[in-house]
Amino acid sequence: MMQRNKLLVAMAFLAPAVIAVIMLRLWPAVSAVHESLIAPGATSYSLENYEYIFTDPVFLQSLRVTLIFIVVVAPLQIAIAVALALLVNAAIPFIGLWRAIILLPVAIPQSVSAVVWGVAFRPDGPVNALLVAAGLDPQRFLTSPDQAMGSIIVIVSWIGVGYWMTFILAGLQDIPKSLYEAVRIDGANRFQQFWYVTLPQLRRPLTFVLVANTVANFLVFAPVQILTSGGPQGSTNLIMNEIYTRAFVSGDRSSALAATVVLVAAVLAVVLVQFRMMRSAEDK
Amino acid sequence: MTNKAGFIRTSITVLCAILFILPLWWVTVSALRPENDIFRYLSPLSWGTLLPLNFTLEHVVELWSGPFRQAIMNSIIVTSVTIVFGLAICSMAAFALAVIEFRGRTLVFIVMVVSFLIPFDAIAVPLYQTLRNMNLQNTYVGLVLPGIGNGLAVFLLRQFFLGIPKELREAAMIDGMGWFGVFWRIYLPLSVPALISASLILFVFQWQAYLWPLLIAPAPEYKGAAVAIAQFSSQYDVNYSLIFAAALFISLIPMVILTVFQQGFSASVASTGSKE
Amino acid sequence: MTFPKLGQGVSLAVLAMTLPLLGAGQVVAQQTVVNFLAEAADFVYAPVIEAFEAANPDIDVRYQQVPFEDLNAAIESRVGQGDSSIDVFAVDTPRVPAFASRGYLPDEEANRERIVAAVPNPVDQEQVSWQGKIHSFPMWTSTQLLFYNRDLLAKAGIAEPTPSSPDDRLTWEELLDLAKKAQEGGAEWGFTFQQVDRYYQLQALFESAGAGPGLTGEGLLTPDLTNEGWVKVATWYRDLYEAGISPRGVSPNQTNDLFINGQAAFFYGGPWTFGRFEEAEGLNYGVTYVPYFEGGKPVTPTGSWALSVNPHAANAEAAYKFVEFATLTAEGAYKTTESNPLPPVNAEAYEKWRAPGAAPAPQVGPALGLITPEVQDTAGGRPPPPGDVGLGTGVKRGVFDPPDGPGRQAAPAAAPGPPASQLARIR
Repeated sequence: MMQRNKLLVAMAFLAPAVIAVIMLRLWPAVSAVHESLIAPGATSYSLENYEYIFTDPVFLQSLRVTLIFIVVVAPLQIAIAVALALLVNAAIPFIGLWRAIILLPVAIPQSVSAVVWGVAFRPDGPVNALLVAAGLDPQRFLTSPDQAMGSIIVIVSWIGVGYWMTFILAGLQDIPKSLYEAVRIDGANRFQQFWYVTLPQLRRPLTFVLVANTVANFLVFAPVQILTSGGPQGSTNLIMNEIYTRAFVSGDRSSALAATVVLVAAVLAVVLVQFRMMRSAEDK
Repeated sequence: MTNKAGFIRTSITVLCAILFILPLWWVTVSALRPENDIFRYLSPLSWGTLLPLNFTLEHVVELWSGPFRQAIMNSIIVTSVTIVFGLAICSMAAFALAVIEFRGRTLVFIVMVVSFLIPFDAIAVPLYQTLRNMNLQNTYVGLVLPGIGNGLAVFLLRQFFLGIPKELREAAMIDGMGWFGVFWRIYLPLSVPALISASLILFVFQWQAYLWPLLIAPAPEYKGAAVAIAQFSSQYDVNYSLIFAAALFISLIPMVILTVFQQGFSASVASTGSKE
Repeated sequence: MTFPKLGQGVSLAVLAMTLPLLGAGQVVAQQTVVNFLAEAADFVYAPVIEAFEAANPDIDVRYQQVPFEDLNAAIESRVGQGDSSIDVFAVDTPRVPAFASRGYLPDEEANRERIVAAVPNPVDQEQVSWQGKIHSFPMWTSTQLLFYNRDLLAKAGIAEPTPSSPDDRLTWEELLDLAKKAQEGGAEWGFTFQQVDRYYQLQALFESAGAGPGLTGEGLLTPDLTNEGWVKVATWYRDLYEAGISPRGVSPNQTNDLFINGQAAFFYGGPWTFGRFEEAEGLNYGVTYVPYFEGGKPVTPTGSWALSVNPHAANAEAAYKFVEFATLTAEGAYKTTESNPLPPVNAEAYEKWRAPGAAPAPQVGPALGLITPEVQDTAGGRPPPPGDVGLGTGVKRGVFDPPDGPGRQAAPAAAPGPPASQLARIR
């Protein structure tokens, strides 16, 4: 009886969100999967679209580029976000203003951010001007196959780091002061306080940030579309850009959808692994 | 904290803030100068790079006397409504997932997680058809709906709720409080920072929304700011002055809101204090 | 203007949400609504919409603007999925084959006679055709001009190009040398394209060198990018960047400013830029015909927007009325260019457009002497089949952006261009 009641209550709480998610996210996704199983011009189901993309060197390169991007960017951004959160977790004058500034880039339309950084990285732009003033050579940044990805990473990090910092900050402020006092009495220094109190207490917000950040990075699109179109030589052809190009430039919708299904599967796999990792950290 | 440490910390913080705001500062400067000056001072670096040398308000005035005012209003309306309704349904769902033990809980949670893994752009077209069949094109409802069921916000709130000690709930329920009471009187008040963070997620989703509003509400009266700003680029000419002026407004509003909430952050947690 | 507080905001929002719902489903008495989707700013189509509504008081044309970058996406999503909420939409002529082959553009052969009568230039007709049939109503065309900075040329001791006739124009090879000379004379950049990296501008170079459309074989679905013409152009293009004559990494929308700020000596762009160049203080510029490749023929980019009726339109009859007014009647076609510096393809409207004093922008007038022959004689259409879409991307990847740097031809075994497999998916 209690169980039944509980279930009903839970359903009542969950209903609106679950309905919204199913109708507005999952159901359209099913329809997309459905379309990905039909090759162009065909009427029956087949895996042809999937065969096509997995034998297409451009798609495979895009997958590779994306995975490398994720592996590099996620730890980088999270480390910076944690550092910033620790920095701003203090009652400095105007702290609200400084935090808001660091967070602000995420609220700017991505098209504007991309344009501005595109200008910054121009061969005759301010970043090169700074380098030249410091006696270094001007760099090619977005037009160089070796530097383009790095430049995109800078842009994406500028946009997102403040956002992630905010969640970690919330987590930091949630840690009871008494825990710190307890270890301080035992003679722990700053680093040990961080390692033994802060990090474990941050486990839940960090799980959130890790998963959300990874997903966000898998879906990076606007700066690539606007600044490099996936070039030079596909070095910045992150998978969302590849999907977009397939769907709207080449007009090959069904393989674009197949690529999307592959993307979602990949992200899901990575996320599940991350959940596992964070869970076992708790057991320690 | 000694004065010296505090001073160093403040300096580093301010320095970081300055570095972060440089690009937006340049946008502001560009909006306040004649169009032909925007790209004139990029290199070599000079005062002109960061100061609006031939200051003019003409672009700001031009922008504000056009349909952009309506666009900003639309964005504000859609975003606010999304946050209000979104917080309500997401926090309720997160509560169920974190606190009520029922069978199938993990499954529902996985469904929530999967939902935000799906790139919105991929489902925009089928979603458009669904909402169009319900005659929701060119309505505020059509604009708001995809924003309120946000799996990421549910995830965030669930993580937070998991950290609130069970004993509080158990004690309250022994005293006769129902589930909703526990939710409303115990969990919500303790979760102000998480609610603020969840609002941030909902806010960013709608404020930045571009493809969806373009599809579902292209009529001029319903345009949002992110779409409106794209319209200053035509095939042959990009009006950077108007784009940057618009960017200025699009940033000012979150700037004000974020600053206020950031102050609220520290204040609210100070009151919740220790959770023992 | 104050922003309402949250509580007020919510009630305001609820009110705002319900009002449109109340209105939905109520038809305004006796007015047919035609929904028109295009990319240009409101003021461009305002004159023609006004004129049409004046002549047809029972039709209400509602204009919806979608930015250029997203128009294709919007058309794919809405027209492609059978949405009836668009009646008329603008089609970028390079997209006509792709859209027509997918059924988005109904076959307009029934109207062929009238279209051909209004738009006699076969190049313009071809722009809106697929497999020999017309699929869209042509509206505008475009062309390109070579601009040069008089001061920079004088500084470098270069004589201004003053061709006596359209045949007496510079060659691309000559231009390269002049551009280098201008740089030696102090210009930061010798030359820049306006639409860097966009196939629209560059395709004319390939055609001029006799390289062909890049596709061959049945249905023009086999890539053909390694013939002599392509190599010639690719080499020229490579030299442009390697010698530092053109800047790398400046996006197409920021190139205008290079010329305006006196940083580029030669500029290859469209007549729509006149407005900005005239406004620029201290910019002393001249205009001439665009160059061609020696041994080849002069070719200029062309094509622009056309109008089509959605095969699933809710109000097809009214939609056709509007489209025909805007493209087939001289008055309507002229009105579409009143606020817009692009030439109409409608022959009668074009005559009106180029009459002295009638030009949309006063500065365009003197250049009309250049524009007319270009539009009529040297306009080169883009490659016909649906394969052209993959071609643009393929050329980009293989020719402009191959492993060794721009312009370096890959070995024939690894021929650049869309792989046969991609073209094979077009059915």
